[in-house]
Amino acid sequence: MTAAVPAGVGPRGPAPGRAGLLSRRLASTTAGHYVIWAVALLVLVGPVLAVAAAALWSTPLYESGGHLTLDNFRDLLGDPTWWRAVGNSFVFATISTLSSVTLGVVAAVLLTRTNLPFRRLLTGVFVLPVLLPGLVLVVGWMATWAPSGYVTSWLELNTVLTFPIDLYSLGGMALVATSVAAPTVFLLCRTTVLSIDSSLEDAARSAGAGPVRALLSVTVPLLRPAITNSTLLVFAVVFEVLGLPLILGFSKNITLVSTYLYDHWINGTSAEQGVVAAGALFLLAFVSALLVVRNRVVGDTGRFATVMGKSSAKRLVDLGPWRWPLAALAAGVLVVLVVVPLVGVVASSLTSIFSPLISPWSVLTSDNFEAVLDNPVWMDSVVNSLLIATVGGLVATVVIALLSLVAHRSEFRMRGSLQQAMLWPRMMPGLVCGMAFFWAFVLLDPTDTLRGSLWGLGLAFAVRSLAVGYSAFYPALAAIGRDLDLAARVSGAGWWRSMISISLRLSIPAMATCFVLLFVSMLNDSDPAVFLVTDETPVMGLTMLQLAATSTGGAVAAFGVIQMLLTVAVLALGRLFLGKRIHA
Amino acid sequence: MPDLTITGLAKSFGDNAVLHDLDLRAEDGELFTLLGPSGCGKSTTLWSIAGLHPPDRGRIAFGDRVVFDDRRVDVPPEKRNCGVVFQSYAVWPHLTVHDNVGYPLKLRKVSRRERSERVAEVLELVELGGLEGRYPHELSGGQQQRVALARALAHPPDLLLLDEPFSNLDAKLRERARDWLRILQQRIGVTTVFVTHDQDEALSMSDRIMVMDRGRVRQVGTPEEIYHQPADEFVADFIGTVNVLDGHVAPGADRSRVRVEGLGEPLLVSPPAPAEGAARLAIRPERIVVHPSGAPAATPNVVTVKVRSTAFLGDHYRYVVVLGDHELVVRTLTRIDHGTELTLELPPDAIRAYAARG
Ligand SMILES: Nc1ncnc2c1ncn2[C@@H]1O[C@H](COP(=O)(O)OP(=O)(O)OP(=O)(O)O)[C@@H](O)[C@H]1O
Ligand SMILES: [Mg+2]
Repeated sequence: MTAAVPAGVGPRGPAPGRAGLLSRRLASTTAGHYVIWAVALLVLVGPVLAVAAAALWSTPLYESGGHLTLDNFRDLLGDPTWWRAVGNSFVFATISTLSSVTLGVVAAVLLTRTNLPFRRLLTGVFVLPVLLPGLVLVVGWMATWAPSGYVTSWLELNTVLTFPIDLYSLGGMALVATSVAAPTVFLLCRTTVLSIDSSLEDAARSAGAGPVRALLSVTVPLLRPAITNSTLLVFAVVFEVLGLPLILGFSKNITLVSTYLYDHWINGTSAEQGVVAAGALFLLAFVSALLVVRNRVVGDTGRFATVMGKSSAKRLVDLGPWRWPLAALAAGVLVVLVVVPLVGVVASSLTSIFSPLISPWSVLTSDNFEAVLDNPVWMDSVVNSLLIATVGGLVATVVIALLSLVAHRSEFRMRGSLQQAMLWPRMMPGLVCGMAFFWAFVLLDPTDTLRGSLWGLGLAFAVRSLAVGYSAFYPALAAIGRDLDLAARVSGAGWWRSMISISLRLSIPAMATCFVLLFVSMLNDSDPAVFLVTDETPVMGLTMLQLAATSTGGAVAAFGVIQMLLTVAVLALGRLFLGKRIHA
Repeated sequence: MPDLTITGLAKSFGDNAVLHDLDLRAEDGELFTLLGPSGCGKSTTLWSIAGLHPPDRGRIAFGDRVVFDDRRVDVPPEKRNCGVVFQSYAVWPHLTVHDNVGYPLKLRKVSRRERSERVAEVLELVELGGLEGRYPHELSGGQQQRVALARALAHPPDLLLLDEPFSNLDAKLRERARDWLRILQQRIGVTTVFVTHDQDEALSMSDRIMVMDRGRVRQVGTPEEIYHQPADEFVADFIGTVNVLDGHVAPGADRSRVRVEGLGEPLLVSPPAPAEGAARLAIRPERIVVHPSGAPAATPNVVTVKVRSTAFLGDHYRYVVVLGDHELVVRTLTRIDHGTELTLELPPDAIRAYAARG
């Protein structure tokens, strides 16, 4: 060999005697992986076992004594109100699913593949409810479309029209659910619509079909997997939702599974807690089964489908003279479903009485906002939620990134189970998640320091949002070539070192996106808090839920507007900040 | 520089056995090429050497340092001191050229000043001097590939491993890069394992070539040996173009005389066919001699054939002729005026006879 490369710079390979040291190093990486894996499984899956324990024990777990029993299940199944609740939930979920899938699919085709005027504006308004905190929209619906609401009364006073649906019935509840669920269906189906090769339609057209005919006979059938997927997803989500039926079902005493559990937890005796746990297990089993079926049907790839379809230039179908009437119809639907409720919530927050009998301008006031600012519990819950969302969001983002690296970028033997564990919280209804942590804290933390603290709440919120964050983070990680970190390994970096200096560094933009999503979701989450909140730790979502379920005043609307503004501000900041990140 | 010895290497993915007891030995300073069709296990072999995944069985040693031995020893990749150039280059997009190349040195705790000197030196070596401050996206594909090479050479490595490093370059650049890398490798004298599925690349650069097929070694030899004395029909067929004729050796007959359907006389072959019975005869198009005005008397293996088509391919002419049941491709450097028939000579030492497969 020649002297072109002096050999003195790098150390030679390790001497034979260093093999022991070497294997110890290797073992420490593996040991680190095992610790991470064990903690992740304990936190993600363990709490559910605690619910099972609570359901199978004769007394609440925080009391001593008791024995193994099936009585809780017997009591639950013997309760006629439980069965009524199950029936109501099925009816509610079925109506909501049918209407939102219909609306969502029609919108997906109409708004992405035709020359409907004002498509972009209509799309923007349509997806708005997905981004905003759900309860705020419900408050808006009540202020405007309830039997005594502003628009309903106005129509009755000034026109021959009436709003045909009673908001406080199962049908009315399903209508409100549709306004949130339909855009979800829309986003799922739009990805598919955009990915369909338009040459397939061209083939149909050259065979003699008109443009609309080609659209209906080629593209719509190809949507079937996306429709199945969104049907099962929407059914599962609507089946478990708590806030909406709690607020709207209150006056007519309509009980669903979720409100049954809520009611028995809040108002029942401690002896009933076992029954609630049994009910939660039922809910968990049913929702998990639906989502397992969905994964089977749609396959693994559907799991990570991003909602942002790539906007390839597709030839648009010309609707001809129909385009204006159809646009007017679409606008009308959106005014009813989205615009009126949103305007309603803002208007009632700014007036002392929101009623068609009095001009809103004459009762304009800032009293409602002042009432919120003066109420220590409400302000505390805003501060607490911001704390949980910021700290919890940051910690959860880092944890998601670390878990994803171990799950996807290591040679760790159990990494497959870690991948499953990270998606598992997606199957957990918010109520079940909260209860799971409640019982887990009872079992593992007898001093109650964690259960009564914001940390405990934050942990439950974080676990519930984990799957969302992971689904946003993982595709970005997968897009970073494996070769990049392997190149670091062969350059001499150990596993951790190569992860930190290469993979983590390159996924910072994805971590930022993940953080924004987690922040918004944890800021507004309410369901898990039902079981974990104390007088010292109110959070915004639950405070809003409890207020909206019992009163309709302007102060509630003001609180909702504040919640909405915080959410929108964070999303806008995220967009601004992330929009600028193009490097790396 | 150490040499590389692999014995009994086996690896499966699930029930898909990718490597079957592979043996390999690359000498000190040698450029050793793994050549084979896509999916034959070249990258799998290379990754096993680099320690990027553990084989199921076998033994890998760099000189007398054993880095893998039946799972008893498995030195992690960061301790093997290999330089690897990936097919994708894997140049880190968030680091400058200087930091990319300096990364292995930083991990080895080389002082900042020494590091800069060494980075400059290696970049000079790959002819990228002065580009230290650039980011990868400000470089051309060929430059990125040289950054990857510089990074692989920086520490410096005991063994250089290259996985199809030129496959992302265009044809012209690829040819230049070949010559350049060959000269560089000889100057440094680092033992190099080079993976490619491109036979021209393999022939023009290698000291020795190992031809692989479905996880098994077919032949190891110098480029000339591989080309002129392919060990079996697969190798003959995979490297360059070859005409294959079906033949037959009568039981008890002389094995250097092979009968071919449609030919009156048996063909003389040297060396003789390995066995009696069905045989396959391989002959390269450029080894067939054309006699436009008839062959001298007593020339062996002279045949008269019908010309089916003629094509001009720039640096040579290509004729497709019919010989018995077979079509034969013939290459000549000059144009041959011919009628519908042509006289050819198939020199006995240009014909390789193999036992028929299956
Ligand atoms: N991680 C893996 N999991 C399962 N099968 C694999 C994996 N990596 C490689 N294989 C299989 O092993 C076989 C050999 O792959 P390898 O990458 O070594 O081929 P190669 O010779 O490098 O091919 P190419 O020239 O296309 O790069 C292929 O059949 C491939 O499908
Ligand atoms: Mg390969």
